[in-house]
Amino acid sequence: MPISIVVPQLGESVAEGTVAKWLKAEGERVRKEEPLVEIQTDKINVEIPSPGEGTLTKILVAEGTTVLVGTEIAVLAGAGEAAGAPASAPAAKTPAQAEAPRSSAATPVSPAAKMPAGEEAPRVPIAAQVSAPPPRPAPMRAPDGGGNGGGGNGGIEHNRHLSPAVRKIMREQGVTLAEVSAIPGSGVAGRVTRDDLIEYLDSRTSRPGPAAPAAVAVAPAPPAALPGFAPLAPAAAGPREEVVPFTKVRKLIAENMLRSKHSTAHTHCFDEADMSAIAQLKKEWGPKLESRGIKLTYMPFFIKASVLALREFPWVNGEVKGDSLVVKHYYNIGMAVGRDDKGLIVPNIKDCDRKGLPQIAAEVNDLASRARADRLRPDDIQGGTFSITNAGVFGAINSSPVINFPEVAILGVHKIVERPVIRDGQIVARPMMNASIGFDHRVIDGELAVKFLRRICELLERPELLWFYA
Amino acid sequence: MSQTLSVCHLGEAPYREGLALQAAALEARAGGRAPDRLLYPDHPPVLTVGRSPSEGSVIASPEALRQAGIEVFEVARGGDVTWHGPGQLVGYLILDLDQRGRDLHRFLREIEQGLIDTLGAWGIEAGREPGRTGVWSRGEKIASIGIAVRRWVSYHGFALNVAPDLRFFDLIHPCGLRGIQMTSVAKRLGDRAPSMDEARAAVASQMARALGFTGWVREDAATLRRSLMEEPGVPRGTHAA
Repeated sequence: MPISIVVPQLGESVAEGTVAKWLKAEGERVRKEEPLVEIQTDKINVEIPSPGEGTLTKILVAEGTTVLVGTEIAVLAGAGEAAGAPASAPAAKTPAQAEAPRSSAATPVSPAAKMPAGEEAPRVPIAAQVSAPPPRPAPMRAPDGGGNGGGGNGGIEHNRHLSPAVRKIMREQGVTLAEVSAIPGSGVAGRVTRDDLIEYLDSRTSRPGPAAPAAVAVAPAPPAALPGFAPLAPAAAGPREEVVPFTKVRKLIAENMLRSKHSTAHTHCFDEADMSAIAQLKKEWGPKLESRGIKLTYMPFFIKASVLALREFPWVNGEVKGDSLVVKHYYNIGMAVGRDDKGLIVPNIKDCDRKGLPQIAAEVNDLASRARADRLRPDDIQGGTFSITNAGVFGAINSSPVINFPEVAILGVHKIVERPVIRDGQIVARPMMNASIGFDHRVIDGELAVKFLRRICELLERPELLWFYA
Repeated sequence: MSQTLSVCHLGEAPYREGLALQAAALEARAGGRAPDRLLYPDHPPVLTVGRSPSEGSVIASPEALRQAGIEVFEVARGGDVTWHGPGQLVGYLILDLDQRGRDLHRFLREIEQGLIDTLGAWGIEAGREPGRTGVWSRGEKIASIGIAVRRWVSYHGFALNVAPDLRFFDLIHPCGLRGIQMTSVAKRLGDRAPSMDEARAAVASQMARALGFTGWVREDAATLRRSLMEEPGVPRGTHAA
């Protein structure tokens, strides 16, 4: 599917940008995130990275040309496409395609920079729109030496004489070019000024007679979207308030959270585990792994226990597709990593059923540090099958985590706290931990969720059970 | 967004090295490994041409420039031609614009404000001229701005004429504007003009405030240069010691 490259939003008062320099030529291969074009506005020159991998098939706007924000300036043929060249050999399967069956289309929360090309592209808040974009204004100025001679789209000629203020009102009020061209302008050379347009709009609303074209003033139907996805009015700060616009990552987190909450039958149940045995194991093995440069935390134990429980209850390691549950017989376990103001991310460790505890521990360390340094690779955040979130690192003793959609369950682990418990009729202090599971009740009945969670807790309490379950 | 602006006086830096240092600082910022920064390089005389040069902006012949030891660089910032050199306070702004709403014009206005406030504190009345980015005082230009953005992190920045030899500007039509008169802080204030060190501190304070930081902290140049040399993807050998 071709990717349309448009001039991105460059700020509230920025209506247009000038194509300063193409950094790639037509026909050239472009990697994702590779600088594609420089756009200039005022005294700022912005490098626009490519939203995907592919071939730059067509440059639509020449260097030196000023166009409106949102104007399509080039077309990219996506990775693996034949790029429209007739003689091109059958495109080899790209790694991305080969991976496709295993990596789910909807990735967990991930920085836009790491989104895969393809179906997800429309959500990339950079300059890409995969499907046909909404009609946009034509370029402001023809390329140098274009000598259009008034041919082609007459609207272009007209449009170029409209000031940003006029165009802004047109956008806001849904006024078409045809309408504006019918207004007798009072400006230089008969141009339609802002005042002309406002006067016209007043008259349009006050006399709904023949002068008012049909189908005007009908607000475009908002695109079908999940509640909360609809664009809201921009926030304005009141006294003693502050507006903090969403970052790219925050937008993706918001969308993924809403999607998870709105498209699954989210519910939770809770259990607890006596962590004495694991604490002992950790105490014993921590220093040994430390000498190999591996920091042993509780997470590898949670991962290993989850894998064993998932093998016993395979439905929990699945994904809903239409009217079916796709059960996965590989175990890529995600772990939520909080990154302060940079936002949550859930990288996963691949094939945890085939790895020993030390290796999992090493990968946990590696993923966590790379997540915090913003150095995750796309592969790290794709293809997860089940996730674990540890709210205990921040001190929580219980939580009801949100499923990492499209997975169907998530394990919540928490702070280990010395609590009085009864053992053999005696009150004793034990390091206890609450565990929770968020699950999609469409496919996981309460019974299954409870049994699954109980098994995890049992494996943590009695590691010797590994002899029977592994 | 980092709360404080990290400010570093890089010291002597040939223009080419300045570009490499900026590239490294940009990568570090984009990767979340570094804070928002204001870097002050001391450039030897150099002409730089931005992405929107106009015909004949450089008045001096290439031959004359070579003889004067002035290099010419084409750079990916906005704007036309300008001169940098001793007596001018050049500030590179390595800021994550993604965390500032990607509003480029607001960013320009904030930089101008930082410079206007600095000049105001010295008793120089300065302001904006619509459509002519930069800072102006009584119709003369006192500071220039040219920004580039990669991975939504800004680089390049501003150049405030503290006490440069203004005759260097005769080599060019600054910013491509004809008949433009450049001025400097020293020209306005004479003996009362601040030293370069004072100017660096004053600009850092006002710039941090105009850009919405709670304050600024000084970064050690040697440490910063060492850390930037370790940035991946930055060509080795481009940094002088």
